[in-house]
Amino acid sequence: MRLEAVGKRYGLRQPWVVHGVSADLPPGRLIRVSGRNGSGKSTLLRVVAGVSLPSAGKVTGRPRTGYVPERFPGGLPFSGREYLLHLARVHGLRGQEGPQRVEQWLERLGAAGYGDQSLRSMSKGMSQKMAIAQALLSSPGLLVLDEAGTGLDQAARAELDAAVTERAASGGTVLFVDHDPARLAGQEDERWNFDGAGHVAVLAGPAPQAGPRAERITIRLETANAADVIGRVRAIDGARVISVDVEGTEPP
Amino acid sequence: MTALLRYQTAILLRSHRWIFPLIGYALLIAVGAAGSTSLAETLDWSGAMLVPVVAFLTRAMLTAEPDAARACVAAAAGPVRAQFATLIVPLGVGAVLGLAAAVFDVLTAEAAANTPASGLQGKLTAALDHPGIVLGGLLIALVCLCVGSAAGALCNPPLLRHPAAAMLSTLAAIILALAAGVSPANAAISHNTAQAANPLAANWPGTGALVGAACLLAVTWGVSVLAATRRDNWSVSSG
Repeated sequence: MRLEAVGKRYGLRQPWVVHGVSADLPPGRLIRVSGRNGSGKSTLLRVVAGVSLPSAGKVTGRPRTGYVPERFPGGLPFSGREYLLHLARVHGLRGQEGPQRVEQWLERLGAAGYGDQSLRSMSKGMSQKMAIAQALLSSPGLLVLDEAGTGLDQAARAELDAAVTERAASGGTVLFVDHDPARLAGQEDERWNFDGAGHVAVLAGPAPQAGPRAERITIRLETANAADVIGRVRAIDGARVISVDVEGTEPP
Repeated sequence: MTALLRYQTAILLRSHRWIFPLIGYALLIAVGAAGSTSLAETLDWSGAMLVPVVAFLTRAMLTAEPDAARACVAAAAGPVRAQFATLIVPLGVGAVLGLAAAVFDVLTAEAAANTPASGLQGKLTAALDHPGIVLGGLLIALVCLCVGSAAGALCNPPLLRHPAAAMLSTLAAIILALAAGVSPANAAISHNTAQAANPLAANWPGTGALVGAACLLAVTWGVSVLAATRRDNWSVSSG
């Protein structure tokens, strides 16, 4: 999966919330997105998850996606179990697989006893568990978590962290925002940091992974055709374009 | 898509947001049945009243899902399909209501004032003897379904997010759709000249009205889907 010069703004006269983000998201990568409040993290996460389309650039090769929003207000007229059964079908699970996975995840998150409670009467933590369960039901190839751990008890937090690392270990790409630096500390392969102007700096992860890790090299060049240059670098075996920042694109 | 349609239908039925449009439609049908003199006229009225019913069902559906829940579904199935499902369900429910109303009309309305038929059997036979009347009425209902759905899609989130503005413009759109000459719904229901001469003549909506309604539906749904893929926050005022 790949982001190519992705930008997002909510209207033609609005400022860019996310600007010129290019990155590869290969399978098995665990990526932490950091930045201050309002810096564009949630917007980027929604674009990556395919919830909304980018205003510029493109997202290609997105696998089946699970998305956990930062708040999950239970405004729907279902019980937790009914909601998850509907979402299992929407995620493409057929036959008995859906109900089985629903029970499995309710159990795992410690919500089995609350499955028949209506979403409207659920506590914040419990409805957050429903949001997490729906995203993990289908073992998605891309998991996007926007402060998914908010309001969870210790046991559920640990279970969520375990589920996230499992997903990455079995070849899923995971993108997450969490304001607690201790969450999954040292486990992430990459960190993307928002600078407050919509730009993202992609930083290598804190812990070296098994296997060869490429060096991160910053190349600054002047060209009339940036896309062509990026394409050629990508074509080199083993090279990966992490981020591209284009300055002064207009010729004099 | 089936899963999405099931999910959206369940939201509509379980949220009881269908009750107000259903009762409203039933009342309007009763009023129409009492005030009309022929089957063609009754069917005309039942079709026309689908415009407000489908517009408000569409509004109910477009405002039923919280932003976060819609985002989860959009990630799973794509925002385009999610929005289409949201628009298809109220159209489908409207079609069911329209059919039910047509059956009710056939079973209760006199084919024409000067040819009184006795009992259900007689009325059914009269309707079967004049299939054009029923078919024309159903086509008029189809035009009104499309126009009502278009009004609902155009005047509600994600295009129009402020609740008061959305509600008022939905009402205004319904009135325009029924009263303004340019509206396909108005064109479909105002072909009553044949009726004056012969109460047993069928009312046909006209090709222009059918094509116009289809185009209106395509354009408004297209714009609504486009906005749904670009806007994340539907519950704030557009400012």
